[in-house]
Amino acid sequence: MQTVLVVDDEFGVAEVLQSILEDEGYRVATAINGKQALARLNELTPDLIMLDYMMPIMDGTQTLAAIRSNPAFATIPIIMMSSLEEAAVRETCTDYNSFLRKPFRAMAVLKLVAQLLEQSARQ
Amino acid sequence: MNNKELSHEPGLERIATGVPGLDDVLKGGFFEGAVYIVRGTPGAGKTILANQICFQHARQGKRALFVTLLAENHARMLQHLEQMSFYDAHLIPKYVYYISAFRVLEENGLKGMMDLLRREMRAHEASILILDGLIAVEETSTSDREFRKFIHELQAHAATAGCCTLLLTNGRRGEYHPEHTMVDGLITLEDVPYGKRRQRELEVRKFRGSASLRGRHPFQITDDGLIVHPRPESRFLRNTGIDNAARISTGIAQLDAMTNGGLIADSSTLVLGPSGAGKTTLGMAFLQCSSKAEPGLHFGFYESPQRLVANAGLIGIDLKSKVEAGHLEISWRPPFERVLDGLGNELIDTVRRRKVKRLFIDGWGGFAGTAETHERLGPFFAAVANELRSLGVTTMCTMETPNLIGPELLVPGTGISAVTENMILLRYSEYQGRLRRLISIMKVRGGGFDPKLREFEIGAEGLRFVDSFKTAEGVLSGYSTERSDVAATPARARKQAKGRRVSARRRGKA
Repeated sequence: MQTVLVVDDEFGVAEVLQSILEDEGYRVATAINGKQALARLNELTPDLIMLDYMMPIMDGTQTLAAIRSNPAFATIPIIMMSSLEEAAVRETCTDYNSFLRKPFRAMAVLKLVAQLLEQSARQ
Repeated sequence: MNNKELSHEPGLERIATGVPGLDDVLKGGFFEGAVYIVRGTPGAGKTILANQICFQHARQGKRALFVTLLAENHARMLQHLEQMSFYDAHLIPKYVYYISAFRVLEENGLKGMMDLLRREMRAHEASILILDGLIAVEETSTSDREFRKFIHELQAHAATAGCCTLLLTNGRRGEYHPEHTMVDGLITLEDVPYGKRRQRELEVRKFRGSASLRGRHPFQITDDGLIVHPRPESRFLRNTGIDNAARISTGIAQLDAMTNGGLIADSSTLVLGPSGAGKTTLGMAFLQCSSKAEPGLHFGFYESPQRLVANAGLIGIDLKSKVEAGHLEISWRPPFERVLDGLGNELIDTVRRRKVKRLFIDGWGGFAGTAETHERLGPFFAAVANELRSLGVTTMCTMETPNLIGPELLVPGTGISAVTENMILLRYSEYQGRLRRLISIMKVRGGGFDPKLREFEIGAEGLRFVDSFKTAEGVLSGYSTERSDVAATPARARKQAKGRRVSARRRGKA
């Protein structure tokens, strides 16, 4: 069973993602900020990370940099999520694999997750 | 202590909200480092107001932090804000930053929440903090005391950080809210029904450190965000009596003669009369005298500028050249559903901007139709008239009377007549088989006037006075008859006979 780590501070967002991913057969772990996400990475090695851009304590940009700088997690596919347009997000970070604009549709999420996991498996 | 003294606060910097009208109500904006509660029912406009303040703040290169609890999710909120002109996605995340704190509140309680707010305020160098959903904190608190302690601690952190904090809540209790006694200010937003209409209203219930405009002020939510319309009754408090002895021409020589040289400068004149009696024509004649020294303004509800200018041209009144020369502005407000206070403020703002000296309002009904209650009209007009007087404006305003013809003079009971210095009455009267227009002066405060009734005609050469009623009586009743005493005198009979002979000779020559 593949594991997805969902990192989002907003109540409701992580819960919805967890539900639709679990319904599809993924194992899901959650964190409410970057600092908590890094701590979770030491407990489990996810196959994919869904990372929110704006969060308290440690935001998406800082978290992404921390993950990529650790050789153990550097190749994990990451979906950056934001209510902002991707152009705004790319002003501070680019080292993610895909972008998901909020609010999102369940089908779009599942399609994107499946696609990235498949690409990752091939590499 | 007067308002001026209260407003003087050395050492406390103001943070302008940038929300039209709100800084006037707050007399300059919020104070830095202070904590305010914004309370309102769902849909009252709290979230839009808070975002509007954040983006205005961000436009000045300052930073705002928007923290939500159990509120609309960020993605949906930003989607809605995209429709607003103040929203600028480029200012996110550097200048406006959105986070949710609900999970922290759930997992770590009030202490965890306070730590988060403190840290994030500092991390983002925020000088404005919004906490949307204060009710979630209240519900998490185990007692009023714990909730008050949270507010108290937040005040201390906000003051230390110099961060102005707005707590948005819908308030679940009645009027008793212990936190209201602690915060620096309380603003309520309400949606109040008036018959079939609803009007949004903002009130500053508490504002430490400064006076504010008291009472409920209407506001609208537009594509530009909130627009607050401070009530003229609270905004224009100058009480200026007329001390100007100068006269200003009405634009009609005979009417000037009837008023001993024209209207007293800075005064207001009510022109009463039924539909079609000539009220607008009188106003156009008044505005025809607009000049560089006496700029004019037509503030009307019924005719578009093009139509007004064209109609004036048909009766020999040249408004076109006055408009082209910049001596006259025609401001048209079609009578849709509007806010009375907004109209009053727009009028005064236009007068100030144009330094208007001659103002013609056509007509009072355009204002009256927007009033939420009838009782407001008297105080409203008194405030506006006072301000116009203080600005040195001579005002002429029309008011339509409901009956076209007849013995009764039905004046809408608005209290307006008590605050106008002058009153001119236009009426119809039937006389010798014709419907005639009459003018009479009912009141000129502080000056004498000719009380006689005059007939006037409106033709291609404008407004012309004629003397038809020297021998008539019952004119004001609308049905004139020949005066029996005058008709019976030998001298009058001889004069009438002579007149008939002269007319016959003329007809013979022709």
